[in-house]
Amino acid sequence: MNRTVLIVGLIIVAAIVAILFMGLGNDPAHIDSPLIGSPAPGFALKAVGSDETIDLTRYRGKPVVLNFWATWCRPCWDEHPVLTANAQMAGDRVQYLGVVFQDEESKIRSFLEQRGWAYPTLVDQAGKTAIAYGVGGVPETYFLDKNGIIVAKFAGPMSAEDIEKNLRKAMQ
Amino acid sequence: MIAFLLVLALQLKVPDAEQFVGKPQGTPLTGEQLHLRTQQVGALLRCPVCQGLSVSDSPAEMAVNMRGQVRELLSRGYTQEQILSYFERSYGQFVLLKPKFNGVAAVVWILPILAVAIGVVIVVSKAKKLEQRPTANGQQPTANDPYLARVRDMVQKP
Amino acid sequence: MTASLGRFLILASVLVSAAGAFIGFAAGQKQSPEGLKWARRFAYAFAALMLLATVVMEYALITHDFSVQYVAQVGSRDVPLWVTIVSLWSSLEGSILFWGFILGIYIAGATRLNIGKHEEYMPYAIGTWLGCGAFFAFLIAGPANPFLTVPNPPLNGPGPNPLLQNHVLMIIHPPMLYLGYVGMTIPFGFAMAALLRKRLGHSFLRPLRASLLLPWIFLTIAIMLGGWWAYEVLGWGGYWAWDPVENASLLPWLTATAALHSAVVMERRGILKGWTVTLVQASFLLTILGTFMTRSGVFNSVHSFTQSSIGPTILVFLAVTLIASVVLLALRIDSLESDGNIESAVSREGMFLVNNLIFVVLTFTVLVGTCFPLIVEAVKGKQMSVGRPYFDAMAVPMGAALLFLIGVGPALPWGRATKREMVRALVPPIGAGVVVAVIGALLGVRNPWTLVTLFFGGYAVHVTLAQMWLPLVQRMKRGGSFGEALVDAQLRRGRRRFGSYIVHAGATIVLVAIAVSSTQRTSQEMTLKRGQTAQAAGYSITFTGIEERAEPHRQSTIAHFNVTKDGKPVTTMDPRMNQYAAMREPIGTPAVHSTILSDLYISIMNIAPDQQSAGFVVINTPMVSWIWIAVLLMGLGGLVALIPHRAVVMSVVAAAPAASAGEAPAATLIRS
Repeated sequence: MNRTVLIVGLIIVAAIVAILFMGLGNDPAHIDSPLIGSPAPGFALKAVGSDETIDLTRYRGKPVVLNFWATWCRPCWDEHPVLTANAQMAGDRVQYLGVVFQDEESKIRSFLEQRGWAYPTLVDQAGKTAIAYGVGGVPETYFLDKNGIIVAKFAGPMSAEDIEKNLRKAMQ
Repeated sequence: MIAFLLVLALQLKVPDAEQFVGKPQGTPLTGEQLHLRTQQVGALLRCPVCQGLSVSDSPAEMAVNMRGQVRELLSRGYTQEQILSYFERSYGQFVLLKPKFNGVAAVVWILPILAVAIGVVIVVSKAKKLEQRPTANGQQPTANDPYLARVRDMVQKP
Repeated sequence: MTASLGRFLILASVLVSAAGAFIGFAAGQKQSPEGLKWARRFAYAFAALMLLATVVMEYALITHDFSVQYVAQVGSRDVPLWVTIVSLWSSLEGSILFWGFILGIYIAGATRLNIGKHEEYMPYAIGTWLGCGAFFAFLIAGPANPFLTVPNPPLNGPGPNPLLQNHVLMIIHPPMLYLGYVGMTIPFGFAMAALLRKRLGHSFLRPLRASLLLPWIFLTIAIMLGGWWAYEVLGWGGYWAWDPVENASLLPWLTATAALHSAVVMERRGILKGWTVTLVQASFLLTILGTFMTRSGVFNSVHSFTQSSIGPTILVFLAVTLIASVVLLALRIDSLESDGNIESAVSREGMFLVNNLIFVVLTFTVLVGTCFPLIVEAVKGKQMSVGRPYFDAMAVPMGAALLFLIGVGPALPWGRATKREMVRALVPPIGAGVVVAVIGALLGVRNPWTLVTLFFGGYAVHVTLAQMWLPLVQRMKRGGSFGEALVDAQLRRGRRRFGSYIVHAGATIVLVAIAVSSTQRTSQEMTLKRGQTAQAAGYSITFTGIEERAEPHRQSTIAHFNVTKDGKPVTTMDPRMNQYAAMREPIGTPAVHSTILSDLYISIMNIAPDQQSAGFVVINTPMVSWIWIAVLLMGLGGLVALIPHRAVVMSVVAAAPAASAGEAPAATLIRS
């Protein structure tokens, strides 16, 4: 019995199997946001449907749900009514904001007119806001507390529960 | 109307690298140099929506936006470190295709070098051990390749 | 009906392979000729069942029998016939069935070719092969069953993944890859047999080596086809991104190449037997690891369409075979070792050792780099990437080192060499190296690594040609024309050697072409209006317009270009964006114009809504066609080396009774 071969071999086997086993639980497409706990990058963007420029700092003092989306994104269609309903229910307590990028204003307008327009929707410039927030795809939503700190990020379309859970973090 | 829009445009503000990585620390680039460097820095950034492609190689619109951002920052004089650091800030180390040289990522650079070192030690000691063994059956090896043996003969003849 | 027939065949194959494995190992233990006969029968039965099951599946696909689960998954009445046929391997379940089919052919072939020979090893080998066969048959019967019955069969199906319908290479790349991957099971069986028998006799080297070389040839070509496909289909203009699945195909190739080299030393000096067996085991185990990487969903990759939930099952099989291999190796490796030695480390034998070192380190590096993000995520919970810049940084020096060895290795003589011999062997090729490097520099190469590669490449070409030339010179000296010498010395007697040098020549060209094509590549982004002309890489390209074309399975938007050079028309190029019914985002197909010197490559980035202008990427890549051709050359060299010598010996001995004294020992030695 060659001890060296056995020990070295079994160590290698254990390492490989352990690493791959741990990998099985993960979703390779999932990326954690490094911005959680940091102040949200500020911006002032044009709102769809008006000539207003809306600055993020306007909403200091209450939690903000910042949702990045686009009209060509299929899951965003499913998420939209959920957000609209929650925004209406929340009223003044929580501010909902949408940021659209890689899209055309006319398309956004007709989408919102058809499907509901419960909160301001802003148009990003060359994806710069998305990059500053580390947006990897759409839809992605950031939850800001009343001091403008990012407390949570949710990638993918949200259900009412998802919004609920993350809003609680923002309200603390 | 245009003037109105212009005024509006001047009030628009997108998040800027300056707030996160400070002032540019290099020289602004232009022309061919700018194009080349954009490609090179873009090759170090991972497109977040693609499967492992770099921002330079990917046709996705997200990647196009990121390329544009890289170009703009280079033209303003930001260095490669600053630009990579800016993207790392919002996307995490995930976006860096070349692992950093510090922290846990350094291990991936050290391991192959360690492997080479250990391998060299093993090969050299094994070779020495083999060299020192006495020849078991004499002539057997060289006779295996008669052509080479004949060539060597002829080469060695005056 | 078809589905149940398929299920029956698969179930039968599970039973047959399991029983056959058991019989094989028992027959090996008892060294029973009767047992071996039965093991062989079970081996053929397994192959036959797999063949039948595959035929049944293809029949179901072609007749659009949507009551069969797999056909409902990937079949469609709207796709061309060739797409229907190749959709057998387009998705997980079918591709595992395909794996079983190829494995059956290999097992049957290996069994048939070794009837009456190596009878002490064959039962164990068959046992091992059928054991692996049983696992795959189990996968097909259980977690990855393509023959499930669909209760309410639909009238039509979605067709296979559109990315796979984009290009004809889809027909050849997967089968080639499987022929390479699956083929590694055969030498693995031989290696396990040698360990179980506690010896690796000299006569057993030939089947071990031949069974490693054949899949090696297929895998070499398959890896190249994968790169070529990425180049022609994915649109980013490159051919190798160190994607996890690309790495998965490369890893067993690296260890198999190392094993082929150490087998030469094993044959000459009787040493490194245990090491060669280890490498052969590793080549097989890496194919199982590779299939895990491709199908488990653990890795983020271009090949994501093959992901599924059979990851854990494959992992279990991998763990079992790993442990079995390690334990058996630990128990038996000492009994394999012989008293061989080497005369001097600075010799061709020594260079083989260095060769193995580099290949193993490269394998380790690629494996670590690919798995490292997993480790970090498990340990620290963060995500990180290990991408192309890392792998390139590691592979470039190692590739250059290998190229150095291709030059220096064959130049050095076997055994011990005097200083004078070494100088005489190592110095002359330097001139060739310098010439090639200078030519490169004159043509505009400035990258230091590329210049080093060119130098090593010139050196290696000189040595390889010289080594190919020497036996010819010898033959011609004894009388005979060049043609006779070529056929007799190289093709009739020196095939292994000649073949190896052809492979080396091919490999040298590949390494040089990779270096040149990566560093001398230029790319431009441009937006062109209809009718506008742009200059790229010495060509004038004129964007003439957009065409919409509707096919049953897709809608294509094609951009037409006229390409001229110095005023003379060269070709038309038509990059496309294809919108498949089944996918949300369109998939682009670039247009490639290949010449021997370089490729012109146009890819569509975006198209303006009015279709009067569009954004394009135009890339010029020098020497990239050389890569495809040179890899084919490598495959050809492998084939030349593979053809067995036995038939030759009969004719040499029979036709040359008046042979000179020098001939006879050569003939006797070849026979072994």
